[in-house]
Amino acid sequence: MTEWLEGLPLFLGKYIAALFFIGMIVWAWFRPRKYIYEGAPDKKGWRDLRIWATVFLGIQVVLYVIF
Amino acid sequence: MGIHGIDLVIVIAYLVAIPIFGVYFKKYVKTEEDYFLAGKMLPWWVISMSIIGTNIGAYDYMGAAGGAYRFGIAQANYEWIGAIPAMVLAALLFVPYYWKAGVYTVPEFLGKRYNTAVRVIEAILWGAFLACVLGVFFWASGLMLNEYLGIPVEFSLMITALIVGIYTITGGLAAVAMTDVVQLLVMFIGGVALTVLGLWTAGGWSGLVEAITPANPDHFKLFLPLSNPTYPWLGMIFGLALVLSPAWWCCHQAIIQRTLGARSEWDAKAGMLFAAFPKMLIPILVVLPGLLALALNPGLAGADMDKAFPWLIKNLLPAGLAGLVFAAFMAALISSVDSTLNSAATLWTRDIYQRFFKKDAPDRHYLKVGRILTLVFVIWAIAFAPVTKAFPGIYVAMQTLLSIFQGPTFAITLLGIYWKRANQWGGLGGLLGGVAISSSMFFVTKASFLYIAWWSFLGSILITIIVSLLTKPDPIEKLEGLVYGLVMKDENLQDILKKRAEGEE
Repeated sequence: MTEWLEGLPLFLGKYIAALFFIGMIVWAWFRPRKYIYEGAPDKKGWRDLRIWATVFLGIQVVLYVIF
Repeated sequence: MGIHGIDLVIVIAYLVAIPIFGVYFKKYVKTEEDYFLAGKMLPWWVISMSIIGTNIGAYDYMGAAGGAYRFGIAQANYEWIGAIPAMVLAALLFVPYYWKAGVYTVPEFLGKRYNTAVRVIEAILWGAFLACVLGVFFWASGLMLNEYLGIPVEFSLMITALIVGIYTITGGLAAVAMTDVVQLLVMFIGGVALTVLGLWTAGGWSGLVEAITPANPDHFKLFLPLSNPTYPWLGMIFGLALVLSPAWWCCHQAIIQRTLGARSEWDAKAGMLFAAFPKMLIPILVVLPGLLALALNPGLAGADMDKAFPWLIKNLLPAGLAGLVFAAFMAALISSVDSTLNSAATLWTRDIYQRFFKKDAPDRHYLKVGRILTLVFVIWAIAFAPVTKAFPGIYVAMQTLLSIFQGPTFAITLLGIYWKRANQWGGLGGLLGGVAISSSMFFVTKASFLYIAWWSFLGSILITIIVSLLTKPDPIEKLEGLVYGLVMKDENLQDILKKRAEGEE
């Protein structure tokens, strides 16, 4: 088992990490709009936390693809 | 470490200004809620900065720079894949339920969701951990003041106690959170100054890469081979990103407490989420200096690698800037100490004193107890700090104990929020069974804590599901507002939750 695992190519880690981040972005967009804005004083676009999550996780995808 | 007049002025000005600023918030403290939750008035940007101030300690500067010196940018995994996804998860799933439940602590939430036994186990664990960590933080602070200002360590401990104690005892969470904002700014100003100067000396980014890569070809790779015992890439993904990191960001009392003091549910969520922004930049402050030290002085070996950061301060910075970076170092430490102190007092007051010693006392009584307990923890930290020097294994032992609990704690909290069928016996069984798995893995197989976290998490999930399905479901009224589907679908429940959060119930 250990030998088999150690034989896995390193680049696989990059793909798994990128998929993980993209999966989190998709998960965030499945949160209902009402739930995201709950408690917000207004419904302005910049308060949509799904956009914030997309930006932060998107940067992670770029970092893990580059490095 | 040598010190110039201007450096001394900067450091003393900083150490005097912080408690004065913190004490200003005393006037807003009238009730227990004001003290422990800042009167539920914190805006999202304060929460964000306070979370990162709490999260980054002086140990991160030393340890992360040393780690980067040894292994390169793989050290940044703890700030990126080991934090950002978990912060998104915490913000969009966990925090809204904690906030709506109107609780003061994470064990209190688990007690409501499962039963008193789960609450007590978690409270004792976190209470002991936070108290121990305080002693370690105080000792580190004493050493830093001793090395930089030449003050005897015992006297340095008193100075730290005075600086942090004054505003934490009087102003509670509001003072802690607001001073954290200032301290994070000081951390960034000092850290960026060091990094910019270091990069300039090393010939920019390309100069840095050229200096390091020939002898260390893997130093600019985020993932290292599975043969690496410290940062195996599979452990980084499954152990760190999927279990340990969410356990830290979704269940750590000192982190979560800021969001519980939010002025609205949106501020609580946004506060946690926006903290991901400064968190992403932390490698510039703690990882890049390690690489810069390697490029400028590749001769550090063994334990000396952990002195990469102090080496950089000593050899790179001119007068004035050295004082600023030292102030940043102190800011990192103090912002963690004050939060730990406040969270320890909250936990012991709410989950232990209020639960077992005096249940229905007036609000002002608990405010008084909170302040007394904060003072007790200050005195405890002064007394316990030298012990951590005599027994350095204490801190490691407490960290190990916490890592044994982290996988199971995250498992039952996740199922508690996401699956209404998870019941009190499932939660208790999952917690105890998960701890049994991680303990046996730790003592018998001596496996890496990254893998222990993963398997104890999976085991805990399975046990919680099986025990819950074999026992009677909890009544639906008990789950109102604590479980995902129930809050989302039922408008009446929303009203109940709103009233609960506003203290009307």
